[in-house]
Amino acid sequence: MSSKYYLPIILFFPVLLIQGTVIPLIAVNGIIPDLILILLVFYSMNYGQLYGTVLGFIFGFLFDLITGSLLGSSMLSKTIAGFIAGYFSNENKRDIYFKAYSFSLIVLLCSTIDSVVNSFFTTAELNTNLFNLIFLQGMLPAVYSAVIGAFVILFYPKRSLS
Amino acid sequence: MIRFFIHFWEEYKEYIVLVIFVIISLVTISLNKQPSVKKARSIAFSGFAAISSVVADVINITGVKSENAKLRKMNAELMLEVSKLRHYGIENAELKSLLGLKDTTKYPLIPATVVSKSLSIAQGTFTLNVGSLDNVKPGMPVINEQGLVGIVNSTSEDFSVVRTLKNLDLKLTVKDERSRIDGVMKWNGSDLVIINVPKTYDVEPGDRIITSDLSSIVAIPLPVGIVIGLSKVETGIFNEVKIKPFVDFVRTEHVFVVGIVENKELEGIQLNFYNRNKPEKKNK
Repeated sequence: MSSKYYLPIILFFPVLLIQGTVIPLIAVNGIIPDLILILLVFYSMNYGQLYGTVLGFIFGFLFDLITGSLLGSSMLSKTIAGFIAGYFSNENKRDIYFKAYSFSLIVLLCSTIDSVVNSFFTTAELNTNLFNLIFLQGMLPAVYSAVIGAFVILFYPKRSLS
Repeated sequence: MIRFFIHFWEEYKEYIVLVIFVIISLVTISLNKQPSVKKARSIAFSGFAAISSVVADVINITGVKSENAKLRKMNAELMLEVSKLRHYGIENAELKSLLGLKDTTKYPLIPATVVSKSLSIAQGTFTLNVGSLDNVKPGMPVINEQGLVGIVNSTSEDFSVVRTLKNLDLKLTVKDERSRIDGVMKWNGSDLVIINVPKTYDVEPGDRIITSDLSSIVAIPLPVGIVIGLSKVETGIFNEVKIKPFVDFVRTEHVFVVGIVENKELEGIQLNFYNRNKPEKKNK
């Protein structure tokens, strides 16, 4: 069985551990980056859209189950985020997409969609406006995730990417 | 026909899988209150929390020195406060005995450490290293030295998940400490707000908000936050009161679970009313 099928699942647990224990220490005004999403985007870009969709679903399911948040909310948002990230899976454009700025922009896009979808479903009775939903709840955590995503790619061994 | 389906699958498999997973997710959202889902969740989080607690302990050790200094200062301040309160306490006990009221100020506190945090915008939750073996039950309030942190939502044997005040599913009856006005407080995704407060009610910025004794979840007065403003609703008769919580949820590491669930006597009375509506069942 290829490592591409089980490695991200194994990696999910230590990443979630860091997400739950270390990441709150670097929160800015309660806004935290989403390491799970960065991992999801990375693998979706590597292995394609179908893979990204399935992986997003599994990540979301495990995340909801373990963290105690509304079961199904992250499943939905991460499935869609994995699907979107899969659009950037292209053998011929790997050199471009896996550059720090491109990768962080893709993380920004996927994270925004993830946050907005998640907020939309977990805040069904919310009488918040669209600006609040997209900017405060979607963009700000996404920008933070994008910055961390850029660092991840910068320090990731280039040989492993090619 | 089969060839058509194979061709259709090959052509649109990404979209088909996406649609299937979206449907499964939506169905799962609707199944959240099922007991089997709650049980599966408690097994999952307790397994993971065991590992998280080890990491959280290591992280907490690094912050012990600075925390100690802070605690020493707080200790000194509390010592002064306690001596003042002791005086009031004696006075209060005397007055209560004159009125024939019982003392209800002793609550069991279960110390706990936060082993994991989920600081999502809508669903803030903490995982604590105490569970049903420590007599923690769903519904118990969780506090720290600053005020109310949240309510225990589910427990396993050794761990429990707490819904923080910054969780859309948590709604609390609270009270303005100064004007004694009650209202329902909830998290709206960006602020803690008391909803549907009539404009004529006396609520002002700077007022302290505590839990109300009308609350069926937290029937003891616990500090919640401070009023920072009233929404400027031009039409209608209701205001929305914005609250700044006392608790810093990002930095909270050590908490206490207050060992009360709800008022048993009150519950008994309510059950009497409930049972009265079903005499046929009672007779059986």
